Amino acid sequence: MELMLKGFGEVVKTVTLRVRRYDPEKKELPKYMEYKVPVQRGMTVLDGILYIKEHIDPSLAARYSCRMGICGSCAMIINNRERLACQTQILDLGKDLIKVDPMGNYDLVKDLVPDLTKLFRNHESIKPYIIRQEEKVTGEFLQLPEERELYSMFTECIMCGACLSACPTMATDELYLGPQALAQSFRYIADSRDIGFNERLNLLDSKHGVWRCHFAGACSDVCPKGIDPALAIQLLKGMLAKNVFVKYQQKPAKIGPDRKSILETAQS
Amino acid sequence: MKESKIMLIQYITGIFILVLGALHFLAISALAPTSDKVLYQYANNSTSTHTLTGGTLYYTTVTTIYHTLFWGSIFELLLTFLVFHIFNGFRIILSEQFPGDRSEKAITYIMLVAGLIIFIWGSKTVVTMLLGGGL
Repeated sequence: MELMLKGFGEVVKTVTLRVRRYDPEKKELPKYMEYKVPVQRGMTVLDGILYIKEHIDPSLAARYSCRMGICGSCAMIINNRERLACQTQILDLGKDLIKVDPMGNYDLVKDLVPDLTKLFRNHESIKPYIIRQEEKVTGEFLQLPEERELYSMFTECIMCGACLSACPTMATDELYLGPQALAQSFRYIADSRDIGFNERLNLLDSKHGVWRCHFAGACSDVCPKGIDPALAIQLLKGMLAKNVFVKYQQKPAKIGPDRKSILETAQS
Repeated sequence: MKESKIMLIQYITGIFILVLGALHFLAISALAPTSDKVLYQYANNSTSTHTLTGGTLYYTTVTTIYHTLFWGSIFELLLTFLVFHIFNGFRIILSEQFPGDRSEKAITYIMLVAGLIIFIWGSKTVVTMLLGGGL
């Protein structure tokens, strides 16, 4: 009798998970291994992988954390497309054979666990924070709702790295910043509180910056949060092109009243 | 030069290539003068639906269009834009395939030299034609 996962109800059918296995330490070539997994309604691919780990092969390595599409840890290629394993229901795929690969364009730690160093390094390089001139900030930066709307979509990034895996430029250009970092740099440049355009300019306008995007749009296609990094990159290209003729000006947002002094006034 | 300036030139040359390429096509397909009476009448026959001029059917008449300074300049400009657009395109593709400071520098210089050779070779043809010579 097939083992069932608690809380999912009856087994609807059995599917085969064809998982790519690779251990760099063993110095063996990557290979696919097939596992039969009983599927209950509501089961995700991540549940299927965990079923394999618990009942068939504990040596299978996969990265996961929140199980609800927030942390972005479980991004992998499922049936030839980057997806979050925890958000992909097995029955929704409508196949009896499900191919599971680790994300592309990354080195591998083991099996389905990619080494995301490149993603985080590139993200860090574009200075993903509000850049200001003030040494000491006493109040909060004021921003209108319509000013936030300009970059709102790009704040949704969970850094799963699926966009880098799908990007064709990333596949050839090891030094390319990638859609995630570029979209995030747009997110900060478009932020009315930020004045860091010139600090990011050299990196964005480099040989491996925005201009290496050939607008395949694969990043936007696979993003599990519905973000459009390709759009951000095109908008950045527009900014940089205009900057050749007229220097891009960022007006720093005004700083609101000092909360501490307001509190003290209220208390007195 | 900053990458944004290079890419701006790349886009602008791309647009000019479209315009000048269309003129080039027009020159070799419709504008060549003709002295062939039969073909001239055929082309200008009121009952005919054909609008082509007879000169385009002859290589020698087509080449006469290259002998004017106006068209010579058009072709030289087209050649300049094409050489920049093509070899900068190659530079971009190769730099993505072989990233790194040394390889990119080498690629840039190789493309520069190759572009110059093609430009000089192409210019020689345009100037030769302009001076009344032919291929």
